[in-house]
Amino acid sequence: MTDIDDLRSKFLDLEFDRTGFVIDAEQSATVAKTSGETRSEFIDTTDPNFEACAPILASLASGRRLPIDFPKLGGISMDGGKAVACIKPVRPGIKLTGKTHLHDIYAKSGRSGRMIFLVSRMQLYNDSGEHLATTDSRQVIRERPDK
Amino acid sequence: MTVQTIGDVVFGDEITPWQPDTSLQATRSFAHAVGYSGSGRFEDHSKARAQGLPGALVPGIMGMGFLTSMIHRWAPRGKIKYIDTVFRAPVLADHEHTVTAVVTDIDEENGEVVLDLTIQNEQEETRVFGTATVQLPAAS
Repeated sequence: MTDIDDLRSKFLDLEFDRTGFVIDAEQSATVAKTSGETRSEFIDTTDPNFEACAPILASLASGRRLPIDFPKLGGISMDGGKAVACIKPVRPGIKLTGKTHLHDIYAKSGRSGRMIFLVSRMQLYNDSGEHLATTDSRQVIRERPDK
Repeated sequence: MTVQTIGDVVFGDEITPWQPDTSLQATRSFAHAVGYSGSGRFEDHSKARAQGLPGALVPGIMGMGFLTSMIHRWAPRGKIKYIDTVFRAPVLADHEHTVTAVVTDIDEENGEVVLDLTIQNEQEETRVFGTATVQLPAAS
């Protein structure tokens, strides 16, 4: 069985990826409109307050999903959820840098065995180093009984 | 029902439930815009079934979009500071789903409201749940 405390001590809070992004205004507006959004600042690219919507921030993927030396846990991996913390408006077209680390590792046991949760946190910064938003991506791994 | 300021919010209030567009056309457009298209799992029922899925899926983060859209309609002057969504089970495209939210906390001093969020299918099974923290203007 995977030692969760060992994984936490070795991997939590260490940046393992840095990726650049530029959000396209039209793509963000499409994401917002197809989700049913009605507010102008998310669907009208000509609105002076136009900003990227939360789902498109959640879609930004780091270059690596896990640290390069993270052990293979086996089992079935699933997308367990996403979170977005909006600190300042993210304007499409600007250069963003996403810095990613493992924010949490924990396990839950149920009738079908143990599930391991890996929470990758990406902090998004603009060129001036201002922290604009944070996204969490929760990966769930159903552990194999023999692990 | 909409709220304009923190003073309009009542603990336990349920935001008017909403049925979002889960059509293949919508999921296809969304998947294309976020770079998820190509495999067919969000675009084509038969291709999704060939991958062992029950049908084409609504992308998980599109569910987040349904929830943020509902919150923005409820609070036209509100700002979502934080939203967390847990993908409990697949949301199937072309099936009716209902998006709901309930006020579970009000912090009048900081102008913040906490909402519990759910997306349920036609069988009233919860497929997505989560929470959001929304900032609202102070009561005038």
